[in-house]
Amino acid sequence: MYELLFAGLANVVQVKYLLPLALGTLVGVVGGALPGVTITMTIIVVLPFTFGLDPLQGLAAMTGVYVGGSAGGLVTAVLLGIPGTPSAIATTFDGHPMARNGEPGRALWIGIWASFFGGLLGGIFLIGATGPLARIALEFGPWEFFSLFVLALSMVAGLVEASLLKGLLSGMLGLIVTVMGVDPVLGRERLTLGIPFLAGGVEFLPVLIGVFAFAQIMTEVERMGGAAPLADAIDRAASLAVSHLKVIWEIVSRPLILLWVAFVGVLPAIGGSAASMMAYDQAKKFSRHPERFGTGTPEGIIASEASNNANVGGSLVTIMAFGIPGDAVTAVMLGALTIHGIQSGPLFISQNTQLAYGMFAAYLLAHPIMVLILALGSRWMLRVTTVPKAALFPVVLVLCVVGAYALNNTMTNVYVLLVFGLLGYAMVKTGFPLAPFILGVILGDQIELNLVRSIMTDANPWLFITRPISGGLLFASVASVAFALWQHRRQQAKLSASEGDADF
Amino acid sequence: MKRFALALLLAPLVAHAQYPDRPIKLIVPWAAGGDTDVIYRTFAPLMQKHVGGTIVVANVGGASGTKGAKEAKDSPPDGYTIFAVHDSIHSTYYTGVADVNYHDFEPLCLVSATPSIITASPKTPWSDMKALLADAKARPGQITVGATLGSTSHFFPAMVEKAAAIKFKYVSYEGTAPRMNALLGGHIELAESNLTQKGKADAGQLKFLAIASAARHPEVPAVPTLKELGISVEYAVNRGLIAPKGTPAAALGKLRSACGAAAKDPSFAEAMKKHGTIVNYLDERGYAAFLKDNDAQNKDVARDLGLLKR
Repeated sequence: MYELLFAGLANVVQVKYLLPLALGTLVGVVGGALPGVTITMTIIVVLPFTFGLDPLQGLAAMTGVYVGGSAGGLVTAVLLGIPGTPSAIATTFDGHPMARNGEPGRALWIGIWASFFGGLLGGIFLIGATGPLARIALEFGPWEFFSLFVLALSMVAGLVEASLLKGLLSGMLGLIVTVMGVDPVLGRERLTLGIPFLAGGVEFLPVLIGVFAFAQIMTEVERMGGAAPLADAIDRAASLAVSHLKVIWEIVSRPLILLWVAFVGVLPAIGGSAASMMAYDQAKKFSRHPERFGTGTPEGIIASEASNNANVGGSLVTIMAFGIPGDAVTAVMLGALTIHGIQSGPLFISQNTQLAYGMFAAYLLAHPIMVLILALGSRWMLRVTTVPKAALFPVVLVLCVVGAYALNNTMTNVYVLLVFGLLGYAMVKTGFPLAPFILGVILGDQIELNLVRSIMTDANPWLFITRPISGGLLFASVASVAFALWQHRRQQAKLSASEGDADF
Repeated sequence: MKRFALALLLAPLVAHAQYPDRPIKLIVPWAAGGDTDVIYRTFAPLMQKHVGGTIVVANVGGASGTKGAKEAKDSPPDGYTIFAVHDSIHSTYYTGVADVNYHDFEPLCLVSATPSIITASPKTPWSDMKALLADAKARPGQITVGATLGSTSHFFPAMVEKAAAIKFKYVSYEGTAPRMNALLGGHIELAESNLTQKGKADAGQLKFLAIASAARHPEVPAVPTLKELGISVEYAVNRGLIAPKGTPAAALGKLRSACGAAAKDPSFAEAMKKHGTIVNYLDERGYAAFLKDNDAQNKDVARDLGLLKR
């Protein structure tokens, strides 16, 4: 394994891989730092530019964006108090107070180094767990996959901050979308209303681009009326200089917190924003001084930033071992893999060993590159956030449309993007969470296929429950919905909790 | 310098007169990474050298390859859409999976043939084809076969079924890669595959039981042919290129000659060897006759199997 990893590292340090990786990381950091531009959006924008590259180059670029984006969000979160990405929301709780208390450099660099260490811990999990998990996944028959997908859907529906009912409805809507067009087994047309346009069904990437990029840009455009002068919000004269050794010591002297929040982060399929919130909550619970949280305590920054970067590693595991995306970002990453001709899933690591380890290496290397980029450019990055949104969003939107077109070189995808952009916008307006919807769209075909396969293999429906892994997974999905209900009750009892931002 | 000036002079003329003046879309009706995709991703760059324009591979997978076929059929016949077809176009038509038929297209050329191999999961007890046949006789309708329903991977085992007087149970696993995963995990017992899976067979992850070619293949000399075993089935997946009906003659001519030149490129044959595929070039006339024969044959098989829907 280590030889493979070193070979991967030696491979990726070649200029032809290092350059896309570094560029990807840079774009990721910038995209992550821009409020209103999510990591998902950044990856969507970068994706079409990688079409012409060889698979590892493309994947290196995408991995860079993912890692860079997860860290970039902290710059604006710390210095302006505005999360650059939803996964940096928890970073604002302590990062911004610390910056306002006259230590912007310390706050910033605790965040950056926590991202670095959290990311590397996530990397250890990524490299260590992908192979064994893939071997387990190979043992998964159609029953197990069906139950696993059901679990994934119910977990995401339960995790959203909005009501569980809306989460489940949203997931269901996503499943219905996948039923449109020809069925995956025999090619019978369904829900096409005789319209040829619908006969082809819809592909998930244009749906995803529409729902996430378009709908969110629309929401941001609405907010533009009262555009706050971002740049004035911080004291430009304040120095960001800091003793790195001291900051690193602040982090590594709290090994238990670091390990624990990294562990929370790698939990598969919970997504960066949920991971950082959960880790923040955990760190607060375990702290001897929970009252200091929210006033600028380093633990808070460490918890949020280490966990959201560790989450990148954890999310990559689920797509590499199971071929299942846990959230929108990994869904696009999965799409990117497919576009580069790679079938992700249980056989990915054994069949594409070089590529898999190249991706691990790219993931590891992206972290020092990310630190370097932030060291050189964090001040300049603030400048970027002053780019007027009136100029920024049209560009992002055009790139999204180009990306949708370039997927298959067909206009159909552009129309799909438009339709689902409007649908997504309507969902945002009516308070329906988007994540379960998109997961429904992604997993719908697989849920159906595996259900059909199970029944074709053996007509006995009890096998879903009597096969131990499948039964366990179904039980877990019931438990996750029950847990979500319970948690919701408790939260409603408290009612004091402030409304969070939409979970993108 | 002189040449440069000449090129400048000619450029506007050429730009107007020449086909193609924009990228040609090659629709592959299967997922990226499958056999067809791999073959045409090798073929497209060679062909575009001769056609004088870019050829973009577009993967439009789903519904036994018929989703891409429908899209190709409905594309404007302007020479900017070509379709990577294989035998499934006949079988899916006769089994009623799709309304698209080879008549809806103009033949360009036949490119390759990939002989099919009966492949078993490593978790099955069978050491050879004979053991499988004996077991199949003992447990009729119980041995699970993964297949793209109505397509080649369904027709081939169905032909074996008929020739050997046995009965399988089919489970939908579309595409070679998911089928191989299911074989590896033991979720299905049998499937059609080909020499692209030789690495896994050598590693003991899959078992090649019999090959459906006329003679044993030099790459796997230990694998018997079905004919040797008394099962008179010969089967290969034949891949070619076609264009929507009504494509202008000038474009067809250019595409046909480019296809021929690419198929005869020695580097193509060399690359195909790795994929267990034989280059089997036929020009448009030969290919038209081939399609007609193949179509009739598929109709017969569909009828024999009780799958004929039209």
